[in-house]
Amino acid sequence: MGSIAVIPEIARVTFRQLLGRRRTLLLILLAALPVLLAVAFRVAGQTDIERFSHRVFDTITVTILLPLVAILFGSGAFGAEIDDGTIVYLLAKPVPRWVVILAKALSAMVLAVALTAASAGLSGLIDLVPAGSDGVLATEAQILAMVVGSVCYVSLFLALSLFTRRALVIGIGYMLVWEGALSVLLPGIANLSIRQYAMGAASAIYKLPADTTRLSSDTAFLLAGVLVVAALVIATWRLMRFELPGGTD
Amino acid sequence: MTTQLAPETVPATQPASAPAIELLHAARWYGNVVAVNDISFSLGAGVTGLLGPNGAGKTTLLHMLAGFLAPSAGTVKVLGQSPHRNPSVYRQIGLVPEREAVYPFLTGRDYVKFNARLQGMRDPDGAARAAIARVGLEDAMDRAIGTYSKGMRQRVKVAGSLVHDPQVLLLDEPFNGMDPRQRIAMMDLLGDLAGAGRTILFSSHILEEVEQVGTEILVMVAGRLAASGDFRAIRALMTDRPHTVTVRSSDDRRLATTLMADPTVFAVELTPNGLSVQTAQLGAFRRILAGSSRSAGVRLLEVLSADESLESVFDYLVGR
Repeated sequence: MGSIAVIPEIARVTFRQLLGRRRTLLLILLAALPVLLAVAFRVAGQTDIERFSHRVFDTITVTILLPLVAILFGSGAFGAEIDDGTIVYLLAKPVPRWVVILAKALSAMVLAVALTAASAGLSGLIDLVPAGSDGVLATEAQILAMVVGSVCYVSLFLALSLFTRRALVIGIGYMLVWEGALSVLLPGIANLSIRQYAMGAASAIYKLPADTTRLSSDTAFLLAGVLVVAALVIATWRLMRFELPGGTD
Repeated sequence: MTTQLAPETVPATQPASAPAIELLHAARWYGNVVAVNDISFSLGAGVTGLLGPNGAGKTTLLHMLAGFLAPSAGTVKVLGQSPHRNPSVYRQIGLVPEREAVYPFLTGRDYVKFNARLQGMRDPDGAARAAIARVGLEDAMDRAIGTYSKGMRQRVKVAGSLVHDPQVLLLDEPFNGMDPRQRIAMMDLLGDLAGAGRTILFSSHILEEVEQVGTEILVMVAGRLAASGDFRAIRALMTDRPHTVTVRSSDDRRLATTLMADPTVFAVELTPNGLSVQTAQLGAFRRILAGSSRSAGVRLLEVLSADESLESVFDYLVGR
């Protein structure tokens, strides 16, 4: 298990790869949007859980911010390295591939959770907590939804990025078509929707008014766990079979 | 050590004990495209140049040796093990890929330390300093790699690959982007490592690079091993091969008569574009051409070597 010791080293480089981009600034601005709206609601004296849950959490935080941030970090954890060939420096080392996957996934998860949970937590603190104990629970539920959703999205799209260079495009398509439209219109596919897992898991703390999922919290946690484990196992399998092209020579 | 062309199984350098690198009928294809075709050789300690034109299959071969490509047929072994899906073999392999990209946000020192840490070294800082000193990058080691010149990036890649003192070093076009002084320093370094018993295989498409570093060479053409062995013997084959030179002059017919008397010339053909002269000794022919034209009272207008490209040299080796 000594090889686990290299996880911080790989994570350090991955953080730099993921954060050293202009899009990070855009993501931070996006994460600031729910907070700014919470301030606006608070200034207007509207500390109403249901109104905030529908208008801000459902419309922006869980529908746009969470998947966009997590898919970007998940697909980018390997994607850029594969594109520019620097993945060679990581793979030409005596490090088990599952350790590489774990290090990359943890790095992307930490960043995604930090950004989304901070946004959900801060906006809840500003507008929900003043509503009383239910507001505190609603804020905690929002944060839990961000944690569960981030971990799931990162795992799935990190694995996908090892199969295709279009993981980001597929991720955005999944976010808009599958989760944005189909999972709302066809409740039966809730079992295959990360958004539903996030909301279902949050209901363990507090049933958010925007929660339309039919999944119980136990089912949501179970399905999320299965997804994460399966995605990371498949990613490891794929990385073990990763081949470099022959190049021009 | 004998020089061979299109060999079956060729020890390019004579291994003292078990060979560090061993390929036996190794092939790699992508669909219908054959990138490496039935190659066999073994290498022991020393520097070996892998020479071939672009598209010859050099990178594919190096990636197979580095474990990043499985052979479609045959076997590839490094230090007695198959490198494919075998990360533990990287404790003894250093790889310098052809692609230039290195983490631009890291400093040279941090990049080499990153390599040392992933190799599980006890003193990554000390190992990184030593490796950076070997490639002469001490002055720039605390600068971000993104600010490095192409030659500096090559050197930091080499430092990262040898930080753990590997037994086998695989370098894909390592001299790309280096200035003459850096090339000499890198060649000296490779020589020192070979002297210390390391097995070094580097690829190049430039004959002169290989000439200055590798005493042993492998020549690849179109995925096949066209020749292997001592560089000087292969160089002589390349130099002494028949060359075709096109000469235009003020009186081609008279010049042809004079040239036919010269022993370095074995055929002259009068063509609409001038004289097509075949010689087995290009250097000697060039020397006598001026004198011959002067003695014939003919003015030379144009002299073109039709087959001076490296590709034509390789084609000749394959065709022999």
